[in-house]
Amino acid sequence: MILKTFFKESKEVWRDGRVRIAFAIVLSLLGIAIWISARQYQNINEQHQMAETTERAIWDNQGEKNPHSAAHYGTYAFKPKYPLSLVDQGVDKYVGTSIFLEAHKRNEAQFSAAADQTGLARFGDLTPDFILLFIVPLLIILLGYNSFTKEREMGTLTLLKSQGISSWKWVMGKWMALFFPIFVLSAILFLIAGFILSNLQDFGVFNWSSLFTMFWIYTGYYIIFINIVLFISTRVKKSGIALVLSLSVWILACLAAPKAASNIAETKYPYPTRQEFAANVLKDKQGGLDGHNPWSKESKLLEQKVLAEHGVDSIHKLPFNFDAYRMQKGEEHEAEIYFKHYNHLKEQFTRQSNVYRGLAVVSPYLPTRFLSMAIAHTDYATHWDFADAAENYRIATQKFLNDNFAENSSYGEWAYRADADFWKELPDFNYDPPELRTILTNNASSLWILGTWMVVSFSILLLTSKTI
Amino acid sequence: MISTNNLTKKFGDFTAVDNLSLSVNEGEILCLLGANGAGKSTTINMLLNFIPPSSGSATINGLDVVKNPIKTKEFITYIPENLMLYPSLTAMENLDYFSGIAGKKLTPTQLSNFLEEAGLQTNAFHKRISTFSKGMRQKVGIALALAKDTKVLLLDEPTSGLDPKAGNEFGELLQNLKNKGVAVLMATHDLFRAKEVATHIGIMKGGQLRQQFVADDISLSQLEKAYLDTMNVTEAMP
Repeated sequence: MILKTFFKESKEVWRDGRVRIAFAIVLSLLGIAIWISARQYQNINEQHQMAETTERAIWDNQGEKNPHSAAHYGTYAFKPKYPLSLVDQGVDKYVGTSIFLEAHKRNEAQFSAAADQTGLARFGDLTPDFILLFIVPLLIILLGYNSFTKEREMGTLTLLKSQGISSWKWVMGKWMALFFPIFVLSAILFLIAGFILSNLQDFGVFNWSSLFTMFWIYTGYYIIFINIVLFISTRVKKSGIALVLSLSVWILACLAAPKAASNIAETKYPYPTRQEFAANVLKDKQGGLDGHNPWSKESKLLEQKVLAEHGVDSIHKLPFNFDAYRMQKGEEHEAEIYFKHYNHLKEQFTRQSNVYRGLAVVSPYLPTRFLSMAIAHTDYATHWDFADAAENYRIATQKFLNDNFAENSSYGEWAYRADADFWKELPDFNYDPPELRTILTNNASSLWILGTWMVVSFSILLLTSKTI
Repeated sequence: MISTNNLTKKFGDFTAVDNLSLSVNEGEILCLLGANGAGKSTTINMLLNFIPPSSGSATINGLDVVKNPIKTKEFITYIPENLMLYPSLTAMENLDYFSGIAGKKLTPTQLSNFLEEAGLQTNAFHKRISTFSKGMRQKVGIALALAKDTKVLLLDEPTSGLDPKAGNEFGELLQNLKNKGVAVLMATHDLFRAKEVATHIGIMKGGQLRQQFVADDISLSQLEKAYLDTMNVTEAMP
C-alpha cells in the first residue's frame, strides 16, 4: 500500500504543471547558484594564492634589516577559502579575509567581501545555501500542503476509507512521495558540488565525508519540514488554510526565529563597541610592560629581575641585547591582554550562540544553519579559530624576530641588521581548520536538537494519522 | 451478508436511524426508498463504520462492523452519489490504485477486463478521469467492485443525475453483480429504478423502516402508492 500510494502520488505530482514549473525553477536556480559560487570560489582562491605568494616574496626579500623594523613592517595571514564554502558561504563574506600581523598589536581580519560591495548587496546573493535553506522548504510546502486536504476536497477520502486503507501506510506513502523528489533534488546539488570540488585540484582539501555529512543534515532538515507540512495537511479541512499555516511555519522558522534570536542575543549579551574595546585594551596595556619604554616602572622591575637572575650589575654585561629581550617581554604581556579581551568577546559569542541554540526549539532552521556553516568552515567558530591561529603565529613571529635581535646584538645596538636570508627562516603560516569529527563534537547540541525535531515531528505525524 | 439489529443513531435529540433491523443476503438487492433525512445514508455510513451507532449492531458477512472495521471493508465496495476518483489519473490507474489498497494485485489485462465488464468503452481506459462523465465514473466504481471480488455493494443515490441510458446501463450492471452473488444495499429516491433492479424494497421515514416488500410482489403503481402513503403518514400515527 505504501508503494502504491507513493507511485500514485508521484504520478499526480508529476502531472501537475505548476509543480513541474516550480521544480524546474528551483533546479535552474540551484544550477545558477552553483555556477556563480564555483566561479567565486575559484576566483577567490586564485586571488588568495596570488596574495599569499606575493606577500611571502615581499617578506623574504626585505634585505638586511633590523628584526624589530621587520616586526613593525609586518606581514599577513590569509584566511583560506574552504571547498564546502561553495555550498554554504556562511559568515565568510562579513568577517574579512586577511589579518595584518605586526608588532605590539593584534589586528582584526579585514578586506571582507561585503565591504567591497555596494548598497545593492543588501538584497543578498543567490547562493546554494539560500536555495537549500529557504527555497527548498518552500518547494516542500508547494508539493505537500494539500496532500491530505485535496483528498477531502475531491471526495476521494470517502472511497479510500471505504476500502479499509491503513492510515499509517497511507501517510507513509504520501511521505515518501514528498521526500523522494526533494531527496533527488538535493542529491543532484550535492553531487554536482562534489564533482566540481573534486576536480579543482589546486585549491583546498576536498573531503567527501564532510559533503555527505552536510547532505544528510540538509536531508534531516527537509524531513522535518515534510513532517510538519503533512501534519498540517492531515489536521485541517481546506487546502487554503493548510497553505497559509505551512507558510506561517516557514516564516516563523526561517525568517522570524533567526532574526529574533539575533536581537535577543545582542540585547542579552552585547559586544563592546569598537571604541570601548580599544579603550579597554589600551588601559590594560598601559598598566603593564611597554617594550619600547625603558623608563617605565615595569621596565625597571624587569631589568632588576633579569640582572639578579644573571648575577650582573649592568644590562651591558648581559649575554643578550636587553632592548630586544624587553620588547619580547612587552609582546608577551600585550599578547596576554589581547587574549584576555578577545576571550571575553568569545565568551559573549558563546553565550549568544546558546541563545540561538535555545531558539532552535522553535526553528529547525537554526541547528541546520549552525551545522552547515560549521562543516563548511564558514562559521564564526572557525573564524575565531583562524584568528587565534593567526595571533599565535604573530606571537611566534615576534619571538622569532626578537630572539634574533637579542642573540645577535648587544644592548643599545639599534643599528643591528639581520642577514638578508634570515627572513626565509620564518615558517609559513599554515592554518588547519577543525576536522569533521571535532566539528560534530563541538556542535553536538545542534545535532541532538535536529535529531529530536525529526523524531518528534515524525512520531506526531504517524500517531495522529489514525484520526484523519 | 448485510445485517442490522436495532441499529440506532442519534445526533443529540435528533434520531437519524431508529431501531433499524434489516438483512440482505447473497444475490439480493435491497433498495431503501425515502425522502431526504429518512436515514438511508446514515445507515450506509454506519455499515461503513464512518460513524458509530448509538445502539444496536451491524454486521457484514457475520462480522461486527465496529469491532472489525478493516476486515469488514475487505468485503465492501461503496459507491456514493458522486464517486470521486483522482482526476489526473486514468481509469486504469485509478482502478489499479484503489484495488491495490484493497489488497488486490492485478495485471493490466485483468484491469482492462474489469473495466470492460463494467461497461466502460475501451478508448476511455487510458483517459484521465477529469474527462469522465458521472456515469463513466460510476462504471469505474463497478469495475472496482468486480476487481475486489466484492461480497457487499453499498450504493448511495448512485443513479442520481444519470441520463436514462446511463441509468439503465447501471441497472444492468447491478443485475450482473446480483447474479454473481453480491449483496447490494442501495439508497435511492428513484422508485422506477428501484422497482427495476431490486429484489427487495424498503421504505424509510424518520429513521425507521416503515414498509418492506419483495419487489416481484408489487407493481410500480402499488409501490408509488405505498411510498406516497408512507410519506403522508404523520409521525404520530403508527
